[in-house]
Amino acid sequence: MAENKTAADPLTPVPGDPLPPLQEIGTTSAPLKSAAYFIGDACKEFNEDFMLCKNESRDPAHCLKEGRKVTRCAQDVLTKLRAACAAEFQAHWDCLEWNNQYYYACRKEERPLNACAFTKLGYKKEIPGVPEGQQPIHLIEKPYFRRQQK
Amino acid sequence: MPVPWESLIPFGLLVVMFGVAGTGLKASRMYQNDWKYPRYSIDNWDEMMMTRDEQLTGSRRGQTMDPIAPAGYNNLYYKRK
Repeated sequence: MAENKTAADPLTPVPGDPLPPLQEIGTTSAPLKSAAYFIGDACKEFNEDFMLCKNESRDPAHCLKEGRKVTRCAQDVLTKLRAACAAEFQAHWDCLEWNNQYYYACRKEERPLNACAFTKLGYKKEIPGVPEGQQPIHLIEKPYFRRQQK
Repeated sequence: MPVPWESLIPFGLLVVMFGVAGTGLKASRMYQNDWKYPRYSIDNWDEMMMTRDEQLTGSRRGQTMDPIAPAGYNNLYYKRK
């Protein structure tokens, strides 16, 4: 990737900006999708704060503080996942990349990842809005919708 | 009686030609997608994520687990370009 001549080092503080400098999340779509529910579990308050703040005003300068908290929380989750569950994490997002990033095609890889994340890091995957009496789809042992050919 | 093997040549030709064409097409599509199956049913969200992936890794199908973005990514000027 070509470096832009005016690219600033992300860690140098910008004069006049009261907030500390921040680096953006560098994770691409597949690992992010794999870790999505864990980020949602760990960063729930920060994400909700940010969404409510954005609801007040779409001006980018209005929600910088909440946005920084969201970024830092997600970076924290990803770092911990990489440290504790590297093999399962890699296997799950590799599977997602091969299957057009569909969750239903990768349940077999998802189960050890969920187990590892729960035992070592305490993250749970919870799907909001599951109707009463129905099992969440990632907990069903033999799901109806699955890849027919392998 | 001798088996008329000459009559099987057209069948063989068809099989080989379809096979070569199909394999070549599949190889070409996989090559364009970093040797993975191509993405389909791409909606605006997927398109946005794949553009972001290109900014992070240089390829629309490139993936990385690194939580910190590379140095050029933070620059809004580069992103607006």
